[in-house]
Amino acid sequence: MQIRIGVFLCDCGKSLSNIDFPKVSERAEKLQDVVHVGLHSNLCLKEGIEEMLSTIRDGAIDRVVIAACSPKLKEDAFRNALEEAGLNSNFLSLANIREQCSWAHEGDVTEKALELTAMAVERARFLKPLVKKDVPVNKEVLVVGGGFAGMKVALDLANLGLRTTLVERGLALGGRLEGFETNPAVPINSMRKAIEENRDIEVLTSAELTRGEGEVGDFSIRIKKGDEELSRSFGAIIFATGYRPEISPGDFQLRPGVNLISQEKLTEILKAPERLELRPKTIGFVLDVSDENCRLPTLSALNDALAVKERLGSEVYVFCKSLKVDSEGVEEVYREARDRGVVFVKFEERPRICSEDGRVKVELNDILLGDEITVFCDFLVAEERIMPSEGTEALSSILKMRIDSRGFCQDENVHLYPVSCERKGIFCVGACRGDLDIARASTDVASAVLSTYELLAPGTAIVEAERVKVDPEKCRVCLTCIRVCPHGAIRLVRVDTEREVAQISDLACEGCGICAAICPAKAIDFEGYGDEQILAEVQAIGESL
Amino acid sequence: MIIAERKPLEEIRGMIAGYKKILVAGCGTCVTICWAGGEKEVGILSSQLRLASSGEGTELSIVEACIERQCEKEMVEELRDKVQDVEAIVSMACGIGVQTIADVFEEKPVFPALNTTFMGMPEAEGVWTEKCRSCGDCMLYWTGGICPVVRCAKGLLNGPCGGTRKGGSCEIDPEKDCAWVLIYRRLEKQGRLDLMRKYYEPKNYRAVKRPGKIEALKA
Amino acid sequence: MIRGNNKIVAFCCENSAYLAADKAGRMRLHYPDNVRIIRVPCVGRVDLIHILKAFEKGAAGVLLIGCHEGACQHLTGNTRAKERAAYARNLLKEVGIDEARLRMANIAPDMAQQFVREIEDMTEKTKER
Repeated sequence: MQIRIGVFLCDCGKSLSNIDFPKVSERAEKLQDVVHVGLHSNLCLKEGIEEMLSTIRDGAIDRVVIAACSPKLKEDAFRNALEEAGLNSNFLSLANIREQCSWAHEGDVTEKALELTAMAVERARFLKPLVKKDVPVNKEVLVVGGGFAGMKVALDLANLGLRTTLVERGLALGGRLEGFETNPAVPINSMRKAIEENRDIEVLTSAELTRGEGEVGDFSIRIKKGDEELSRSFGAIIFATGYRPEISPGDFQLRPGVNLISQEKLTEILKAPERLELRPKTIGFVLDVSDENCRLPTLSALNDALAVKERLGSEVYVFCKSLKVDSEGVEEVYREARDRGVVFVKFEERPRICSEDGRVKVELNDILLGDEITVFCDFLVAEERIMPSEGTEALSSILKMRIDSRGFCQDENVHLYPVSCERKGIFCVGACRGDLDIARASTDVASAVLSTYELLAPGTAIVEAERVKVDPEKCRVCLTCIRVCPHGAIRLVRVDTEREVAQISDLACEGCGICAAICPAKAIDFEGYGDEQILAEVQAIGESL
Repeated sequence: MIIAERKPLEEIRGMIAGYKKILVAGCGTCVTICWAGGEKEVGILSSQLRLASSGEGTELSIVEACIERQCEKEMVEELRDKVQDVEAIVSMACGIGVQTIADVFEEKPVFPALNTTFMGMPEAEGVWTEKCRSCGDCMLYWTGGICPVVRCAKGLLNGPCGGTRKGGSCEIDPEKDCAWVLIYRRLEKQGRLDLMRKYYEPKNYRAVKRPGKIEALKA
Repeated sequence: MIRGNNKIVAFCCENSAYLAADKAGRMRLHYPDNVRIIRVPCVGRVDLIHILKAFEKGAAGVLLIGCHEGACQHLTGNTRAKERAAYARNLLKEVGIDEARLRMANIAPDMAQQFVREIEDMTEKTKER
């Protein structure tokens, strides 16, 4: 069937003076299938659009080419205009003759403007209609991990009317902050109670994920609890698996033992100081040996130092490279510690730590004194390296999420900050992102709750149906696109008793086209950026016009 | 799956030298999946041939096609109209496809654009390794599913040669694992280590009469 | 040296290069007018045949311009494009086309000067002498 292409040139209020528009118009008219070429001065304004729309209707134009300013400015507006004219909004092809032509070059750019227009015309030939469709989304949310962040997100979502299932590997909810004195304080007990009483939150403890399939709006998850294996469906998943502290003995060249203790051990000691044989005279804290990046060791050390002063009355030294007090309230704690007589020693080179006479000897170069000092401690509390929770890697595999170089689950990709994941509908909150900061965890939760609510609350989502589509006849089931899609948006579906083929989820697809480029059988068609369309533009370059 | 790789362009150009109108035919099965001879590769080869010809100033016109499977005569028949008009055919299929085309269109010279190399298993995206040499006498039962004919550099059938390097790599090719170490570990996992004591007779390489032929349709 | 036009075909990713090109226009950073920009959603969309056809049509040079390493919105698009470009260079070498005529570059969306430099460099390199 003959297509009827309408070309609309805009001279941007007659300002693009280095383009001879009548010449472009004259030559564009000669292009095959072009039935109309119009020159306008303000296509972005209401009058301009009205003019264009009436021309489209009167001329029965079915493909629209607009040569004007950058598509980045007006593409959506033009698409809407096409709909008003009764044309599918995808029958639009744009040429950037302003930012990338008239403004970009000195002198006359008529030839280039014409060629850019011709490229858009050639592309327009191959455009197909795209239909917007409503797809249902499952409104239930899965929260993986029952620590502070997990519990908070479940409560906030439930308060907005979204049912959540909170899966926790351990015996009870609470996570690592249980029993910890934190600043700001975190009401774990009352949160737990609120969750128990909330009928929109299902809590599964001693439960683990075993399988994850599907995409946003329709995740199929298998959860193992005891002997049972439950199958559930969710619209979105929030990952809140937390962290684990670990002492790296290698960093200290000294085995952790009686005198080099972990923070947990110190907490134990502080709970029952009368159990100690000898009151420790000196307690040291060492930071910045295992992990220079983390804030939590600083805060814990400061709190513990104060606790030691209060309950044991010992001399307290804190050996550090720098104190990270940039979280809320931490600087106050630091000043209080100093006021109470905690001694802070700053080093540049790693201190030498060894055992001598049953005590821990710490030798280092004090930057501020400019001298070597030696301190004997009865206990040295070792800084812990912050690692992702055990099992994070396996879990991330199950959900086909990437983890970063440290094992934390936020790709170090600025496009995904703060809580998004490369897979739509999966969000990461709290310590599992590698950042230990309660205030930040709270803002993570707020972001994730908002995004999830936006996504699921309507119960449906609008998509452009089959914008990127696998042709089931051509699909070789080589699984390449499934493995390669950075957004995990493709899965295998059964088409008949014998065959499975790849299928792309309209909602989860981010329109990058990586699958279309890599499919060995050229079975994937990407409407708008298909091979035909791109090659049409390439072919138009250098054609004598 | 059959794995093949494209010949260097020079070699292909040498074959078609002097022909002015050719058909480049791809195959939609194995060679599509291993990125050697599918529709994409037909496009790429044709593009390269045109660029090379125009660079030299020689005349070359190319018809491009890709059929589902080049080893089926009926499917190859679909090319008949296109074949009429050309002087020669460049087949981007495995050796079987090339010969099928040659049989169907006997009057036209058919040139293979690929070298068919082995039967491979996908290890990672885009990576296939040889796993089977079609010896016709499969012994994978005894070796826990790991083939020593292919994976042992010496093709030994009764345990390692004794030259295995530290870390379990092959004496001859340190990039490879010693197949017999892998077999041992696999059988150990399965609790079938007693099989390592079994003596396996020298392989009967005449188990399959070459060239092979079967009549599989019984009724 | 291939006979053809002096055009540079630049496949520009809409998250980085295309925006940088727009910015260059807004800043009136004038650059050679022989470049033709083709917009793609991600530089990983560009396939070998697109590059080869550009040369078949007589392009003097082809640029693939995407986001910085580690900053691809689609994670692997720019890495794939880089590998594909490397392979394409071999294909070009096989037909006697200088590898320097195909280049993969990484820029951020606000790097207008860098965009202009890429165009100027490629134009200079591929000028018919």
